[in-house]
Amino acid sequence: MIPKEIVKEALASGFDEALVTRSNHTVCYLKIANSKVDSVVETSGQSGMMFLSSKKRVFFTNLDRFDSAYIRNKIENSKRLIAMQAEKKDYNGLAEGPFKYGARQKYSRRIENYTIDEIADMANSAINSALAEGAQSVAGTLTIGYSKDELATSKSIEAESRSSRLSMSLRAMTKNVALQQEEVSRDMDIDMAKLGKMVASTAAGVKKTGKISDGTYDIIYMPAAGGSLLSNINAMACAGSIETGSFLSGKIGNFVANRGITIYDDGLSGNLVSSSPFDAEGYPSQKTVLVKGGVLKTYLHNYSTAIKYKTKSTGNAGLVEPSPNTLVFEHRNRVSDLDKLISEVKRGILVSSTWYTRFSNYLTGDFSTVPRDMSLYIEDGEPKFAIRQTGISAMVGIRINDNIIRMAKNTLLAANDAIQTTSWDSGAYYVMPSILVKGVRVTTAMV
Amino acid sequence: MSAADEDLADFAVNRALASGASYAEAYLLNEKSSSIAIEQGVFNGAAATESSGMRVRLIKKGRLFTFSTNVLSKEGIEASLRRASLFKGNSIVLSREKVRRANYKAKQKKSFDSENPAEDLAEYDRQLAKNKLVRYRSMYLGYGISNSYFTNSDGTKIRATLPSISSFFSLILKSGSETRQRFLQYGGVGGYELFDLDKIGGEIEQEVKNLANVMSKGVSLSKSKLAEIRNVVVSPEISGIAVHESIGHPNEADRVFGREAAQAGTSYLNGSNLGMQIGSGAVNIVDDPTIEGAYGFYLYDDEGVMAGPKLIVKDGMQNELLLNREYAGMLGRKSNGSARSSDYSVEPIIRMSNTYLKPGNADFEDLIEEAGSGVYIKSFTEWNIDDTRSFAKYQGNEAYLIERGSIGKPVKNFSLEVSTFNFWKSVRLVDNEFKLYLGTCGKGEPEQGVPVTMGGAAALLSFGE
Repeated sequence: MIPKEIVKEALASGFDEALVTRSNHTVCYLKIANSKVDSVVETSGQSGMMFLSSKKRVFFTNLDRFDSAYIRNKIENSKRLIAMQAEKKDYNGLAEGPFKYGARQKYSRRIENYTIDEIADMANSAINSALAEGAQSVAGTLTIGYSKDELATSKSIEAESRSSRLSMSLRAMTKNVALQQEEVSRDMDIDMAKLGKMVASTAAGVKKTGKISDGTYDIIYMPAAGGSLLSNINAMACAGSIETGSFLSGKIGNFVANRGITIYDDGLSGNLVSSSPFDAEGYPSQKTVLVKGGVLKTYLHNYSTAIKYKTKSTGNAGLVEPSPNTLVFEHRNRVSDLDKLISEVKRGILVSSTWYTRFSNYLTGDFSTVPRDMSLYIEDGEPKFAIRQTGISAMVGIRINDNIIRMAKNTLLAANDAIQTTSWDSGAYYVMPSILVKGVRVTTAMV
Repeated sequence: MSAADEDLADFAVNRALASGASYAEAYLLNEKSSSIAIEQGVFNGAAATESSGMRVRLIKKGRLFTFSTNVLSKEGIEASLRRASLFKGNSIVLSREKVRRANYKAKQKKSFDSENPAEDLAEYDRQLAKNKLVRYRSMYLGYGISNSYFTNSDGTKIRATLPSISSFFSLILKSGSETRQRFLQYGGVGGYELFDLDKIGGEIEQEVKNLANVMSKGVSLSKSKLAEIRNVVVSPEISGIAVHESIGHPNEADRVFGREAAQAGTSYLNGSNLGMQIGSGAVNIVDDPTIEGAYGFYLYDDEGVMAGPKLIVKDGMQNELLLNREYAGMLGRKSNGSARSSDYSVEPIIRMSNTYLKPGNADFEDLIEEAGSGVYIKSFTEWNIDDTRSFAKYQGNEAYLIERGSIGKPVKNFSLEVSTFNFWKSVRLVDNEFKLYLGTCGKGEPEQGVPVTMGGAAALLSFGE
């Protein structure tokens, strides 16, 4: 059965509302370890979800198959189970369609027709290039996949999209530092050799290591690091987070970032790998201004939470709970490139990536995070050495202790080097430049 | 799990061998689960899901290839097998293991069907709403049952039935102008008996009371006072997170030998320093999947290897890596049954299960008395650790001064930021009591979260000048 037929069947069974998705997907993960293609995992299948409501009770179930006997059984079971649930008192229904959707994202037939040999060759190209540039060891993941996604609801919505994605996350390790970067595209057009060369030559260019002491430093976060931290703003601006305790609760109209900063939540732009013409309830995706001139403008909503907050959906369903799209960061105060940003720093640290970002309190936004890879000490506008607090290879040995709003307010400058990237720790994609944050507390390893 | 599905798994193994594989295995999984959530008193909906699928893993001329699908058909399996290529890359050899035949089922005293979880949770939420110190509250309950069938070309066949339940409570407390957050998780492998709301409610009530006391009466120590602290008593919650992050992870062989370098990280261990001293002689650390009821329970791993306790650190010395068949093969050893996967669609990789600091001979009072002065950390908020697992931070949530051999005033701002070796070499006394805490451990690409526990005994750490 197709989603529209399943919706009809559910309504005939007495539900007030129904939403059904169906997805056919293939994803392949190729792992790189110790400078070799290590292994390949390929997963494919079909899956879907059925969301039902009845008298303010809401219920979900998954769909593994789409034959009529299976679907009817699922609907009958759902009727029995939803009757046992309590009302979701603040539920205001699914978005009323129909809608017109904007441009579809690019879909690549080349990705759809990939072979294992082909992607292994791409991975080997990145590895060989990195080794030629001085990497002692290379690790990474190449991910490739495509899907066809369909959605129908009882509110006159029928939507369909196709998506394709290729990404390569590559980590080059040398005697002194490690450096990792992920590139992502909707087409088979990542220059793997160039990526390998870039991460390895940057890492191999670091000839000196040294130690620093605890203190306050200006920090330059490269895109993977800054985006990983600031994408928490989008996540914690979602209505569900606001209601369970967020550092943005009650902050609409207040300064939450430097006056030069604009932050978007973008679910629409065709070149973003996490974008889609519609959100999880079929509402058109959009590019929402979340922060403008440093001021928080809105929370992120689905149709139901928007009604509760007397506003319009921002296209961020998430059924029941809204969820963020892609952070797009802009700063009015920009310099041409990373070197220029470094030249602005009297005493600071260039951080290429962070991980294990943990909040001691989501209500205040206090957090600490650990620089994972190449972190360069900067003095008088020049990188002096890679920080290594101990003799253990690949260990930086420093920790950043900050508050997310303080960080955003103290982000004074950005470079013109924004890229779409992510980090393993964050999982979220973001479009982020390198940024300069003043006066950050750094602690160091006691060994 | 139907006989037809099992036949299909056996078919996949046979066809893989016929296609030129030197080894093949198939893993079938059926999972049924239900969940409910309540946020700030609002029932946030319920879900009931059931999914089935199969993973086939094969080695062809040393190359490791895994495919998975939930569309189970002979044609689909044949098509996937044809895609396995001899890519230019790593070549692996698995350890030789005993052929096993087993069916096992975790104990479940109370079935989920005979209870009303939604009403139970709602009733508890109404009680908690009366506590004015709790500013934000959200709670989640998930439960279900998994049935799996593993078969491989060596002849091993394992059938497992594992019911499990997990409840998660997220609280933000407020007292005056100060707030504190606390996450608590309860449950395990078993039935509804593991969701004892009377006990859970009692523990949460005590937590709220204690943290309110920290907020209202806690002292903030000056920099110089913090620098003077030499003795720290850590509770099982703190020793547990330290065991998990700084001992369990770096003893996973795939990290030690670089397979996770671009994902979950590396290790301070490498091929040349195994057996090194990590802690004092009082430190013994175990990973044991066979603890009944514990959230990381299993009797056979996802490569069909029989599980058992592993003594990772013995008398302070690194003793045993967590191994799967690939790394056991590389090291010329037997696997110790540490391969796990979060579901059928992903590869099995080396994971912890129930990891703990083994109890010693001291009473808790001995630890405090022996410390004389210092700090007792009972619970933590944020924590993190570097890529090599050498430098960690455990930020105290509920913590107290130790004064003249007794627990004194609460402390607001104590964090233990310390190297792994300094932490474990400073262990002077270990308590004789034992407690485990639930967690979901992430690793791999795509990231796999698997259920674990961590904990063990409280300990006294005495740091040098």
